[in-house]
Amino acid sequence: MLADDMACNARNEYPAQVFNNENHKLNLYGDNVEVDYRGYEVTVENFLRVLTGRHENAVPRSKRLLSDEGSHILLYMTGHGGDEFLKFQDAEELQSHDLADAVKQMKEKRRFKELMIMVDTCQAATLFNQLQSPGVLAIGSSLKGENSYSHHLDSDVGVSVVDRFTYYTLAFFERLNIYDNASLNSLFRSYDPKLLMSTAYYRTDLYQPHLAEVPVTNFFGSVMETIHTDSVYKAFSSKTSNNKINSEMPVNQLSEHDELQKANIPNDELKTEKQKCPYTQMRVDLHEKLEKFENVDTVVNLGIAVMVFVVMISSSLL
Amino acid sequence: MASLIRSWIPLLILQSFLVAIAFGSKEAEEFSEALLLKPLPDRKVLAHFHFENRAPPSNSHGRHHHLFPKAISQLVQKFRVKEMELSFTQGRWNHEHWGGFDPLSSMNAKPVGVELWAVFDVPQSQVDTSWKNLTHALSGLFCASINFLESSTSYAAPTWGFGTNSDKLRYGSLPREAVCTENLTPWLKLLPCRDKDGISALMNRPSVYRGFYHSQRLHLSTVESGQEGLGSGIVLEQTLTVVLQPETTSVETNMQPSWSLSSLFGRKVVGSCVLAKSSNVYLQLEGRLGHESKNVDTEIEAHKLWKNADFDLSLKPDRVLRESSSLLFIFDIDKSSDSEPFDLGLTWKLPSKWSCQQAPLQATRFLMGSGNERGAIAILLKATESQEKLPGRVVTDGRCTIKANIFQIFPWYVKVYYHTLQIFVDQQQKTDCEVLKKINVSPSTDKVSSGMLEMMLELPCEVKSAAISIEYDKGFLHIDEYPPDANQGFDIPSALISFPSHHASLDFQEELSKSPLLSSFKEKSLVRSYTEVLLVPLTTPDFSMPYNVITITCTIFALYFGSLLNVLRRRIGEEERFLKSQAGKKTFGLKQLLSRLTAKIRGRPIEPPSSDSPAAQSSFLSSKLIFKIILVAGAAAAWQYFSTDN
Repeated sequence: MLADDMACNARNEYPAQVFNNENHKLNLYGDNVEVDYRGYEVTVENFLRVLTGRHENAVPRSKRLLSDEGSHILLYMTGHGGDEFLKFQDAEELQSHDLADAVKQMKEKRRFKELMIMVDTCQAATLFNQLQSPGVLAIGSSLKGENSYSHHLDSDVGVSVVDRFTYYTLAFFERLNIYDNASLNSLFRSYDPKLLMSTAYYRTDLYQPHLAEVPVTNFFGSVMETIHTDSVYKAFSSKTSNNKINSEMPVNQLSEHDELQKANIPNDELKTEKQKCPYTQMRVDLHEKLEKFENVDTVVNLGIAVMVFVVMISSSLL
Repeated sequence: MASLIRSWIPLLILQSFLVAIAFGSKEAEEFSEALLLKPLPDRKVLAHFHFENRAPPSNSHGRHHHLFPKAISQLVQKFRVKEMELSFTQGRWNHEHWGGFDPLSSMNAKPVGVELWAVFDVPQSQVDTSWKNLTHALSGLFCASINFLESSTSYAAPTWGFGTNSDKLRYGSLPREAVCTENLTPWLKLLPCRDKDGISALMNRPSVYRGFYHSQRLHLSTVESGQEGLGSGIVLEQTLTVVLQPETTSVETNMQPSWSLSSLFGRKVVGSCVLAKSSNVYLQLEGRLGHESKNVDTEIEAHKLWKNADFDLSLKPDRVLRESSSLLFIFDIDKSSDSEPFDLGLTWKLPSKWSCQQAPLQATRFLMGSGNERGAIAILLKATESQEKLPGRVVTDGRCTIKANIFQIFPWYVKVYYHTLQIFVDQQQKTDCEVLKKINVSPSTDKVSSGMLEMMLELPCEVKSAAISIEYDKGFLHIDEYPPDANQGFDIPSALISFPSHHASLDFQEELSKSPLLSSFKEKSLVRSYTEVLLVPLTTPDFSMPYNVITITCTIFALYFGSLLNVLRRRIGEEERFLKSQAGKKTFGLKQLLSRLTAKIRGRPIEPPSSDSPAAQSSFLSSKLIFKIILVAGAAAAWQYFSTDN
């Protein structure tokens, strides 16, 4: 949900580009960005509808949060906020009790297994004061009475490009490589109040697992390297059974001035590799043979014809 | 393995029969891509990407697609769309310099923001529902707020003013919609090669959005297969038109800037899309009259066309075509690859000037009047210099006339008074019957539907200027209906001016089957131009008023109830009276005080807790009193004793 069009704004010296750093090295508005709600559609009503899933019939699937009881959801909100509220579009406010109510409805409808809320506004920790549903983890960039500050100003573009909390979050992730098994605990402990100029407060009383055992990839997507193998079911032959393999995800890019971003990662635990058994071998051969046919339609027609033939024969025999 | 093969042979014989039967539905899908580059007279370059995807009609209910995007065919099937066009535009098409009469500008000069029109194939009563569902589906597909067009206040049903004659046509426009990478990405994902290969790989997002004008357009039309409910053929045309300014190092302003594909887009073409049937780059130069000879057969003559005194092309074209004053170079990029990328460049050697042909009348639109109560809208049509040279002038009753259709939508808060319509031709007011031949008015209903005006004017060919003005009142919106930035104003969508008697087409005398781009140019298309979007400031309420009302109401309530309760329940001076009575108790005597107190106690039973029986109370008080007297006396004696000590 982006309320303002920053990248293609007429005042942006670098059209279609949004940077998180003055050195302009990384363009966050890459070629694969998709924004579901933007402009005047970013309202508290639409936000709560997305969370609770109460849409009109005509709303397309790409604008719905299609989550179920096994999903991990990341909810990231930034903007202007204060004591128990967050501003939307300079005209509306999202209150902490509304958010808690929506999360409660989500829990009742079993729309998530684990939910992580990250808020980067002034007095952010007050926004999740009223939460009571289990399975929710929340972190805010500042406590009540504290402000959250921006990191640095880009004099080329003319605005501050990133907030401190977001900057240090991104710095943490940039230090990791793909195969690191960093935990949420290390992420939360990496925030230094002196550098942030505010206290990053997090709330774990509603979240059961220990933070040191939860990998960050549970919520933050990662780009998985796909390795091509010649034959199926032979990859990763020596992994143990409790290793979760995520399918390829888009990079969850946190760009500045976002109102909200969601990453919905289904927590399907894949099985380990299949053993080589004659049944699967036969299936593999059949599959390869079928791929040789160029016209799948004719094979289907052929199959139907065979069936008709057999029926005719059997009925004539009887 | 061998046994399996043997068992399949008799079945293969059967299969051949089936193939013969099913052969009719096996026409292939076709995809072709093209890029047209055209230098513009005001030192800019136009790049027009054209992708066409055809799905043939099929006899079966379900079908497989291997090139055609499934999202589009599902859209067509579900909503029974017969024809649809969706465009996303930013920037204004400069008709003066970039032309208005050629098929490219007639089809690609679109109004700012999002424009959507669709013709449906459903019964009349269901058209509005289909339109609503279509807008939602498109908003999900293209990441834009097209769903705002669903409410009946934002779309209209034009009849003849739009150019398409149908009563199942709906038209809507959102002038304020932003266009950015997130709209281009799903549009590119509809192509078979996405943006990874072929001509679409050139689309560097920062270069595209840096342009002076960019417009991405999607047009689909169905070819009826003749039978109800079966898959009809669909033709999907996607175009992206960008006007860029190449960076120049030369200081002189006379020379046109030299450019190449890598300087415009930062990339080169490395191979065509393998799924494309044809993949070409065209370079069109206008104003090339005179020194070219008709004979292009000889090698030297052909060479002079693309390397001469005026300009140089960096690559040799595969073919050269000519049509009246424009020259078209065709480059086939099938041969290009990673090792030899295709980077077409044009270097100007001598300053040259030319002009693009314009529409017969140039249209502008503006607001008149001031204040937040009423105003007027005026459309000004000015004759352009190419008016005399244009074909298609209609001669009726011995007079030569130009026909112009005007189509406008007015949102409901711009309450137009149609009786104040005035038409001026060459600054003289004309009565309506002389110039206005046909008019169709659909008045607006407050908060329900918008107003629509279609007019056909017949102006004399020698007209210098024509103006149409109409007055309106500004309406009031409910506080909930204001957008967050209400003080910016509200938009009146662009008006469409079309010239039904003029048709723009470019015929290069080329075989049609080869190039969809050239065949689309060859079709006679209506000359049309869109006016500017008007920004109307409406009266806005004080948005802090609800907060003020709540605050003042609460203050008043607090004051009222507070003072009421005070008056009823609080006794002022109770404390002083009690203390006074206490003091009086000492001087006046115990018995009187006691009686006063007991009277008070009996009178008001809710007194402070020391409410024992009067006798106990009196005894208690008396002992307390005696104790106090003794204490005071003792203190006085001690004071006396110690003070005399010093």
